[in-house]
Amino acid sequence: MDKVKEYKKANPFKLFGDHVQAIGTGIKYFVRPQRITLKYPEEALSLPSGYRGLIRLYKDVCIGCTLCAMVCPADAMKMVTQEGKKLPTINYGRCVFCGFCVDICPVDALKETGVHDAAFTNRRDLVFYPDKFNKSYDEPPTERVVKKVKAVVDEKRGIKYVPDE
Amino acid sequence: MDILGLLRFYILYPSFFVTVIFPGLVFTLLLLLVTIWFERKAAARVQMRIGPYYASKRLGGILQLVADAVKFVFSEIIIPNEVNPTLYALAPVLMVIASFLPIAVIPLSVIPPSGSVFSIYFKDFYDPDINAGVIAGLFVNYNLLLVLAIESVYPIFVVLLAWSTNNRFAVVGAVRETYLSVSYDVILLMSTLAMALEYHTLDIAKIVSYGIPGIVANPLAAFLFFVAMLMGSSRFPFDISEAETELVIGPYTEYSGFLFVLTMAGSYVGNFIYALVFADVFLWGWYPLSGFPGLVLTVLKAVIVLFFATFMRSVYARYRVDQALRGSWKYLLPLAFASLILGMVVGYVWIR
Repeated sequence: MDKVKEYKKANPFKLFGDHVQAIGTGIKYFVRPQRITLKYPEEALSLPSGYRGLIRLYKDVCIGCTLCAMVCPADAMKMVTQEGKKLPTINYGRCVFCGFCVDICPVDALKETGVHDAAFTNRRDLVFYPDKFNKSYDEPPTERVVKKVKAVVDEKRGIKYVPDE
Repeated sequence: MDILGLLRFYILYPSFFVTVIFPGLVFTLLLLLVTIWFERKAAARVQMRIGPYYASKRLGGILQLVADAVKFVFSEIIIPNEVNPTLYALAPVLMVIASFLPIAVIPLSVIPPSGSVFSIYFKDFYDPDINAGVIAGLFVNYNLLLVLAIESVYPIFVVLLAWSTNNRFAVVGAVRETYLSVSYDVILLMSTLAMALEYHTLDIAKIVSYGIPGIVANPLAAFLFFVAMLMGSSRFPFDISEAETELVIGPYTEYSGFLFVLTMAGSYVGNFIYALVFADVFLWGWYPLSGFPGLVLTVLKAVIVLFFATFMRSVYARYRVDQALRGSWKYLLPLAFASLILGMVVGYVWIR
């Protein structure tokens, strides 16, 4: 029978030194923390302009061709009939922000906005019927001031946030 | 004696004051919340996070713990089908009792013959060894031994608790706890035995009144006691029995609601008791103060030790059970023998 492999031989004093060093590093970080958490509702990363956000509808331009509902891979887009005209309605509970609907629209009635805060307090609010869908969301719907920051690489801390104008 | 004086007499009576108010049940409950808050905040600081914050921004999120406690207390206690309900409900209570009971016999300060609020109890808690009164729930001559004897019952209740919940994770956790308790109890007892040999006594009050802190007289024993304390109260890196990533939460898997709070409190309270003993035996306890300030000083030292023990969470990962056993039997046990010899030599040469 083969001999059971013994653990790697280690110098106990070196082991003890390693433990002391580990605790020392912990205390160093405890005294001088290098936090990289972003306090999200107060601060937000400014995203690149091509970053797909919430989608809006131009109700008057829409011709009701149903192509957007057909191409939608997540079944988020549905057509509803309003005053005899077919209009898209979107469910952000299903939407994957692929942007296919925007691409396929023959008259450019759909547009991607720069708003990415798709959080709601209610499941019913996730569904945008044409009237709500028609509104411009280019301004973030918030009362409080959001500090926009951007991430830059820092030599010491790895990553650092600086205010973005 | 008027009614207020009578009330004051009974409230400040050490058997009541120490076990119920400070550092007893009331203080320990508050300390539990603060310790868990500190544990989360310290781990967050070291790991580049912030930790609980939004529940109360000014207080650094400490109300998050109150909210968690309220949530736990009012959530439903689910009793599994195939367990004995009596044992199931009783086991966590017994566990907390076993881990909390030693506070009754730990001497926390001395009573001077006059000039302190406790001086009226001088005769009732008189310790002939140091010629002064002792603030403790109950004064016994061999309190160092008794504290460790009661505290070492704690793992048995963990096993009882795991067995009574009839859960695989719980049983695996209990087996790990058994393995560990065999290895840490030996080290704990040998390091305290070294101190007892060194100071020629089993009375904590006498050890403190020698005027030489134990960490100077026998640093090996202090180190061993600290490591054994980490193991005994399943702090990192030895939280092997309740390994969250492997065993859900080990022996306490089936518990919910208030009973879960009790199971969680058990190890923290045990850690606090060990920290009190550590502060007394190794960190000079109440010396040079006495009376109530001495009591506060002892508890302050114990709280610092407890916070340092919880701080380990942010530094260490978890050891495997075989690594912990190998470490404790292969490295710490010979060290414990060395501390015993060191204690004998120092006790013969220096401390008469």
